[in-house]
Amino acid sequence: MTWLIWRQHRTEVGVLGLLVGLFGIALLVLGTQAHDLFPGGPARCAGQAAVDAACAASFRLLDEDYGYVENLLAAFYLVPVVVGAFLGAPLLARELEDGTWQLAWTQAVPRMRWLAAKLVALAGVTVALTGTFTAVLTWFRQPFDAWEGRFQYDAFDLEGLVPVAYALFAFAVATAAGAILRRSLPAFGVAFGAFLAARMSVALVARPAYATPLTAMQPVPVGGTNARTGPGVADWMIERGYADATGHRLSSTEYHELQDAADRAGTNLNQFLHARGVQEFGVYHPADRFWTFQLIEAALFVAVAAVLIGVVVWRVRRRMI
Amino acid sequence: MTATGIALRTDGVGKRYRKGWALRDCTLTLPAGGVTALVGPNGAGKTTLLRLVVGLLTPSTGTVEVLGHDVTASTPQTLSRVGFLAQDHPLYKRFTVAEMLRFGRACNLRFDQKLAERRLARLGIPLDRRAGALSGGQQAQVALALALAKRPDLLVLDEPVASLDPLARHEFLQVLMGAVAEGGVSILFSSHVVHELERVCDHLVVLNHGRVTLTGDIDTLLAEHRLLVGPRTATDVDRADTVVQAVHSDRHTTLLVRDRALPTAPGWQAQPVALEDLVLAYLRHPCGPDAATTPEVPA
Repeated sequence: MTWLIWRQHRTEVGVLGLLVGLFGIALLVLGTQAHDLFPGGPARCAGQAAVDAACAASFRLLDEDYGYVENLLAAFYLVPVVVGAFLGAPLLARELEDGTWQLAWTQAVPRMRWLAAKLVALAGVTVALTGTFTAVLTWFRQPFDAWEGRFQYDAFDLEGLVPVAYALFAFAVATAAGAILRRSLPAFGVAFGAFLAARMSVALVARPAYATPLTAMQPVPVGGTNARTGPGVADWMIERGYADATGHRLSSTEYHELQDAADRAGTNLNQFLHARGVQEFGVYHPADRFWTFQLIEAALFVAVAAVLIGVVVWRVRRRMI
Repeated sequence: MTATGIALRTDGVGKRYRKGWALRDCTLTLPAGGVTALVGPNGAGKTTLLRLVVGLLTPSTGTVEVLGHDVTASTPQTLSRVGFLAQDHPLYKRFTVAEMLRFGRACNLRFDQKLAERRLARLGIPLDRRAGALSGGQQAQVALALALAKRPDLLVLDEPVASLDPLARHEFLQVLMGAVAEGGVSILFSSHVVHELERVCDHLVVLNHGRVTLTGDIDTLLAEHRLLVGPRTATDVDRADTVVQAVHSDRHTTLLVRDRALPTAPGWQAQPVALEDLVLAYLRHPCGPDAATTPEVPA
């Protein structure tokens, strides 16, 4: 079976391995240079951008020289779906469209063993490729994470555990769609669409609700809003705004009324707000929830993947194919 | 050959898809060592029956026993005793012929690689050619060589020659019959080509609209049936229950009867029936002799 799986899927594995390898090497080269900007290691400068002059200089250089790379990293949002769907879509669909399922399942290897071997091998390749690439990318982003935190979408979605879970999800969707649609290309398309829809809705709607966010309140400072004592840059800010002295959150209309009142009174807005006891509030998840959130999101995607693989196994077992 | 002497036994087998029944109430017994033709029009349920026999599908009702084992279990042992050649003889198109043989070796308990290589060499099929680059006839031969290298006790073929040109068809059947002559393998194949059957097979199953309408040893079936030609008549009352088909011309009536050669009525002449005509008669009358007694068929 090992030889057969390798022979059947070596093209996909080879192409994906080559792509992951090329991008990985490019990231390693650029990442080494970026890391060299931080003599004491990037982790030492975490949260020190405004405090430590050496760190501030390092961050400025990082932004000037490698800021463009960070913007390009957004393309790697698609790595999990390309890897997972490319390996999952043909698993059953190619056999079904070529009629070779009838060949494969009438040899002496029972179909459930055939399916188990294929699923384990190709899911394993999916995990290995995405995992390796994510490890490199996570390392590459260390200086950027020290600067901006890891909770923003361009960090959280590319690092740690979740990319591997996304890839397994894409693999499972593609395999299941291939079993039902019996064609590789539509299965790949379905996986791609499902991946985008699931990723977006989870990141925008579900992720902020993995835990109860914290709320920080402080009076509007007289000198303006720059002196931060509330949530730091590494925390994940979900909502910010103003509340009155009793803690009641002001709607934007109410806030504009206050602005108008300050204008009419001819006073500075900050002084006006401060005098009335208006507070700034921030709703946020603290940075140390990173791994908890990673685990929750990874578990979510892996669970859906497991259900979909269950459907595939059930269909093959019941000979609905 | 098995100790029981029975290659295949189906009992009340039915298969229902979402659209309805593809096969109903199919009860068959095929002796080991024989060549059986499964004949029926397109959509009669031939492919469904064959897939049930090799365990690719599970029956909705009834049981399928191959060589004394329930095929739905699909253990390596039962799978290795049955060879299957699906319609259009699918192969992994990007594999070379040698890789197809390696596939066979990797996926089977026993696989006679030498035998397969010998067969392919005799046919002049190069081992280093990609399967997809071979002609249709050669692909069919590779698929057959793969199936035979398993040394199966039962070989099932779905429309094996339907897509082949006459020459390739001839060569294919020659190889197949050679394998039968070597002994030890029972063959069940489907076809909608009715002629040539007599030369090739010794057992017949006619399938129509998902039901078996005729099954038996070909010599016995030919002996049981005959054509009766007589004056034009509305019906042959005495024999209504044995008439399979009645054809009326201006002056004559020709009846195909299954009466096991009872004495002929006065004025009627008996003739033997050709296998092709027999099959065609059963294909036209989907429910067999019992329902075919309405004799008012216009000429």
